[in-house]
Amino acid sequence: MQLVRSWLNKITIERIQLELMNTAYGSGHASLSRLDPRCLLIWYLFFAIVPWFISNLTVLAGMFLMMVVTTILSRVTPFIILVLCLGLIGQVGWLFILSLFFGGDISSALPLLKLTLKLSVVSLASITVFSGMDPEKISDGLLALGMPAAFSFSLSYGYRILPVLFEEFRNVLLSYRLRGKAPEEPGVMYWRMAAYYLKLLVLSFFPLMLATAKRSRTTVEALETRGFSYGMKNPAAKKLKLAHLKVSTRDIMFLSGSAVYVSLLFWISGRL
Amino acid sequence: MHNTATESDLAVRLTDVTFVYPGSEEPVLKGASLAIERGSFTAIIGGNGCGKSTLCKLFNGLIPHYYVGDFSGEVEICGQPANTQNVAELSRMVGYVYQDFDNQLVRPTVLDEAMFAPLNYGLPDYRVMGLQALEMCGLTHLQDRYIWELSGGQKHLLALAGALSLSPDILVVDEPVSQLDPQHARQVYEVLRSLNEHYGKTVIVIEHHTEFIADYCKEVCLMENGQVLWQLPVADGLNRLDDLARLSIQPPEVTQAAVHLSSLLRKENGAASHDQQDWPEDADGRGLSSPPESAKCMPGLHPDNAPRLGQDEVRYPVTTDEAVAYFSGMLGGRADLPGAHSSSEASGGHSRPGSRLTESGPEDAQARPIVEFKQARLSYRTIRRAEREVLRGINLSLYEGERIALVGNNGAGKSSLLRLIAGIAKPSAGAVEVMGEDTKHQSIEQLSSHVSYVFQNPEDMFIEDNVYKEVAHCLKSRAYPDAEQRISQMLESFRLESLKDRDARLLSGGQQRRVSLAIGAAVLPHLILLDEPTANLDLATREELLGTLQDLEGFVRTVVIATHDMQLVQQWATRVIVLTDGTVAGDGSAADIFADHHLISRAGLAPTQIMDTASRLDLHLTGSTPAEFAQLVHAILTGKEVPHHAACPQLA
Repeated sequence: MQLVRSWLNKITIERIQLELMNTAYGSGHASLSRLDPRCLLIWYLFFAIVPWFISNLTVLAGMFLMMVVTTILSRVTPFIILVLCLGLIGQVGWLFILSLFFGGDISSALPLLKLTLKLSVVSLASITVFSGMDPEKISDGLLALGMPAAFSFSLSYGYRILPVLFEEFRNVLLSYRLRGKAPEEPGVMYWRMAAYYLKLLVLSFFPLMLATAKRSRTTVEALETRGFSYGMKNPAAKKLKLAHLKVSTRDIMFLSGSAVYVSLLFWISGRL
Repeated sequence: MHNTATESDLAVRLTDVTFVYPGSEEPVLKGASLAIERGSFTAIIGGNGCGKSTLCKLFNGLIPHYYVGDFSGEVEICGQPANTQNVAELSRMVGYVYQDFDNQLVRPTVLDEAMFAPLNYGLPDYRVMGLQALEMCGLTHLQDRYIWELSGGQKHLLALAGALSLSPDILVVDEPVSQLDPQHARQVYEVLRSLNEHYGKTVIVIEHHTEFIADYCKEVCLMENGQVLWQLPVADGLNRLDDLARLSIQPPEVTQAAVHLSSLLRKENGAASHDQQDWPEDADGRGLSSPPESAKCMPGLHPDNAPRLGQDEVRYPVTTDEAVAYFSGMLGGRADLPGAHSSSEASGGHSRPGSRLTESGPEDAQARPIVEFKQARLSYRTIRRAEREVLRGINLSLYEGERIALVGNNGAGKSSLLRLIAGIAKPSAGAVEVMGEDTKHQSIEQLSSHVSYVFQNPEDMFIEDNVYKEVAHCLKSRAYPDAEQRISQMLESFRLESLKDRDARLLSGGQQRRVSLAIGAAVLPHLILLDEPTANLDLATREELLGTLQDLEGFVRTVVIATHDMQLVQQWATRVIVLTDGTVAGDGSAADIFADHHLISRAGLAPTQIMDTASRLDLHLTGSTPAEFAQLVHAILTGKEVPHHAACPQLA
């Protein structure tokens, strides 16, 4: 129980916020961040879709290995990896237990392992891209690939107001706690406490939305006065914004390297 | 208002503008006319809801292009009619900084934010423009920082830089002081002044802090009921005392003191000739029991010796400099009174109050402290994965019945200290005991039945959809037996009965503040903690708050306020704790603390105009209100008082 308590103490909203912001913006030194965002997005598109259609374990395992390497290169925070592992174990774990109920045995673990591999490849690719590039680059990349300006802007703005939202959320939650009543007994496995906090999380949503709505009025007006809607209709502005994007030899090497590696995997699996 | 300047010399010209917001019946602007010359530094003042912000939104075309209401009249910006241009075009000439400037920042890093507008306009040298704007605002060294790493003052300057990046001729700033502490506000005003003087920008501020207007602006224009009542040079405008009083705008402190003094002198002249019996109650509470000597023989005593303005109007000082000249002129013949100069040495003699009270606490040694800090430290993790220590070994005891003001500049650790008491943060080393129990072993919920924490921003406390439910929330959730009775008591004490069915988020600033105090007081805590209760309140509301604090004393024995408001400290606190850089730098009575000029400047506190004037005139003043100041000067003039003896009886 002491262990649970010390864990619970570590998981604070501040901590989560810090980790998220670090994941998003702390990628300045990652070697992947020097790649052109368009290339990285195309690369991601491949690894987010193709694994679903492959059932060969060798290829999947090879892809998985590659993703592990790129994930390390993107300098992801341990927190995100932890969340990923918990998610995967939870997801596949209960599927396996369910399969046992329906007359499955240990052999049903193999297809589940395949599913796990697919999920891992896709998730790790996502982590690579979203942690290896900061939201600004992703937003520029999307704009360059033809996404509407409003969409790519909201992506980067979403990250910008994340700390503001967290702050607001923390205050609302604190207000509930300062004026509320926690269960006197924590209950078995702290279920009462868990239920109490979950209830607060849900309740906090409504005040949070109202506060945000009030803020956005100034934001929208300010965007107008700073030529945002003017810039959206102005092709020159878009061109200027994206002028810094350049495909370099590094990008070509990254893409072709990935392509060679994947074809190699297919070739090996055909041989086996 | 009727300028003779040619068209092209005008930055802004409004002629007979009337505007009704869509969905509203009542016009916000009713035939407003205004002409602001290029290169001026103009303040727009007026009561709440008089249309100040609406007026300024005309300048960049948000009205009538963005808010499409009923609009009539003419607007010209830099000599060009505004109705033929859209918001984007007008915005190249007019930069706008909002009151809630935080919501105006839309990009993640400082440089991105500064380049945002030129980039939107597709200007090839956007980077240079952004950097230039940062340079003007003194933010160049922060260009790679993320917005959320900046302090409030830096954010305001960045909003300013963002508005400046297109190098507009006109800059509109809505209430720069209201969201900033005095030090940062002054920093922002210094930047505005340099923009005005060195870069030739026309600066228009909406402001109701007349001290700032007096120090920085050149022109002031008063709005009432959607009209521009007058537009005058600052010194003249701030002397229109009747108009200001009617709209509950407080003139600068030194002006109030001068007015007060001249009315004292006038009364005395009357009293001396007719009825000497009136004197004692007219003078002050200091117990000047003997009637004054005849006032007629006092040189420089007649109020009409003040510099004159126009026909019969007396012109009072508005800035500290003017006040020093004004009062020293009056005191001129008396400056060499015995004791008049020794006061500063006297105050220097006991200028280290910090060491005096820190350990010992109040006289009653038996009293059990409500809160005790034992070598408490607190550190936070920052986004760059660094630990930042905000409190470094605090030792303090707070006792029942004290009214404690916690002062210090931003980042000194005031809020952190309050959060430790409320148990919202736990000390990273050392201990904090509340009611004799270590906060480490108590949850926020448990602690909050003894300690109420009232947020700086009342809106952050609102979690229900009407005032009644807000006040009731805690009492109901903790099932207090006398909940109903207490709720009605609170609603009554804080004058909220008529508002109880309204959503607290939609109330005015002062009303919101009252709701937040009622929420805090409802559990009848032993201790209530208020974070910046006077921040962003206009002055009338602030006066009201002082009354509310008195009401609070009926319910709570110990109150701790973290504040920048030195007037509040002087008027209210019985004990002042000065924090600098996470340590306690001073602890004592308000008079002790304010006598220590070295401490004041080290702690980055902003002395009020009166405190400043008094210290420059070498007067030792116990209080800080303009009335007290006027009484002191009056007493010296009438020869009744040797200044520092009157102010500091213990030294006599």
